[in-house]
Amino acid sequence: MTPAVAALGFLPTDSFNVVVIGAVFVLISLGLYFTFGLLDVVNLAHGGLILIGAYTALQMEAWTGSVLFGMAAAAITAGLVGVAMERGILRFLYERPLDSLLATFGLAVIIRQVVQLLYSANPRTVPDPIGGSFSFLELNIPWWRLMIVIITALFVVAVLILMERTRFGLRARATVRNPHLAETQGVNIGWYRAAMFAIGASLSGIAGAVLAPINTLNPQFGLLFLVNSFLVVILGGKRSLRGIVVAGLVLGGSLGVLQFIISTVIAQIVVLVLAIAAVRLRPVVERQVGEWRQRRAAAEAA
Amino acid sequence: MSALLQVKDVTAGYGRTTVLRGVSLEAAVGEVVCVLGRNGAGKTTLLRALMGMLSKKGAVRLDGVDISHWKGHRIHRAGMVWVPQEDTVFPGLTVLEHLDITLGGRNIDAGVRVASDLFPPLAERLDQEAQTLSGGERKMLSLAQALIVSPRVVLMDEPTEGVAPVVVQQLIPAIRLLAETAAIVLVEQNLDTALAVGSRAFVLEQGTIVESGDVHGLYESGVLERRLAL
Repeated sequence: MTPAVAALGFLPTDSFNVVVIGAVFVLISLGLYFTFGLLDVVNLAHGGLILIGAYTALQMEAWTGSVLFGMAAAAITAGLVGVAMERGILRFLYERPLDSLLATFGLAVIIRQVVQLLYSANPRTVPDPIGGSFSFLELNIPWWRLMIVIITALFVVAVLILMERTRFGLRARATVRNPHLAETQGVNIGWYRAAMFAIGASLSGIAGAVLAPINTLNPQFGLLFLVNSFLVVILGGKRSLRGIVVAGLVLGGSLGVLQFIISTVIAQIVVLVLAIAAVRLRPVVERQVGEWRQRRAAAEAA
Repeated sequence: MSALLQVKDVTAGYGRTTVLRGVSLEAAVGEVVCVLGRNGAGKTTLLRALMGMLSKKGAVRLDGVDISHWKGHRIHRAGMVWVPQEDTVFPGLTVLEHLDITLGGRNIDAGVRVASDLFPPLAERLDQEAQTLSGGERKMLSLAQALIVSPRVVLMDEPTEGVAPVVVQQLIPAIRLLAETAAIVLVEQNLDTALAVGSRAFVLEQGTIVESGDVHGLYESGVLERRLAL
């Protein structure tokens, strides 16, 4: 903690929350990495899938008393809804981006209304599955917030392994990068697209369930994360999981730091402006880096 | 010789535009059936339709089984493979990963050995991203992908187009090798290649077959020169 940051009112305890907010940004973007990043569906129902996960955790906690069990149920429920969305509607719209945008917007509204119908618009809370906190150095760390960071890290590693170290990942990447060629090389691209959408939806559901205990739930819950997750995926590079992780940590971390210094609303505006500027400047930076690498390679070759 | 691939009255196109009109042809194992025609005649459309990439009317039979409504991946698994003219690689994936995808994760080592024996340049580039290969090497990779699955029918779309003559000399033996155990439908603008490997030929004009017969006979009688405006 630098004195300058401390002078702005940023306390040592807050630094862990910055890490947590960064992790949350990554966690909410993992599902969108599949549905939007890989499959090119401008998935406005992403927030709806997060909402399904959160309310599934709420319901399972009411039925079984276990939020952790609710998380597994959230993954399954959101995954099944994702498969139904993809097989029922979106698979016909892969070549029609505007139509898929409209369809997912409609699905998002339907999900929100169904949740409101079933649970009303009244705010709900999900109990902290672990509760309590511990002290580490100068930091007071709530156990569940630490778990959010750990769960996010585990899912990032799992997705990396799935996509880069398995035959499923290889065929999924082939499907994404050249679907017509993949189909004629024996890859059932319909199955792989459905599987990727289901995985993305499941991850979104898990994100909702994991974040439910630290938020107040209402039918607008998923909307809170929609814009930020799109920003993270666009800024990180749609098909680059590593880029998305970095973008999530940077954007979430920036928001975390800023909202301890200025109001949350202003902080969100500043982060949005920074993200838009970064998206605008990224091609220029990438071109400069590419040219520098070429010059360096040429110099080494000489 | 009974035909392994039977195509009867196939009509296909893009949206409301009809490109192929009632095309019929047959190909047997050991044959290289050339489909010749000027640009826009419908040659590539024919291969795309046979490979399940376009909706079509008419019948396509593989070894007597109607595959007219099958999707591409199922047709590939049934033993009919496609060597496309362009857009032949997956960006970001290595040569080895291309072979892995084609083989469906089975017998990778044997597949790599076959591909490397036939095309030694590929053996040196297994870990290289396929999009960084030269045009000729990409053609080699496409042919290798067809060869390693021991296909029954191979649909080839201008495999020697835009390739240096020295590379063509490497590709032609591979086509002949494939023809020993498979039926080949070869779309080709390069008449030298068609004459080097072809047995029968069909000439397409505006989506319709206007000539057919022995490729050398058609050439010597001047039909190809007249139809293809050589």
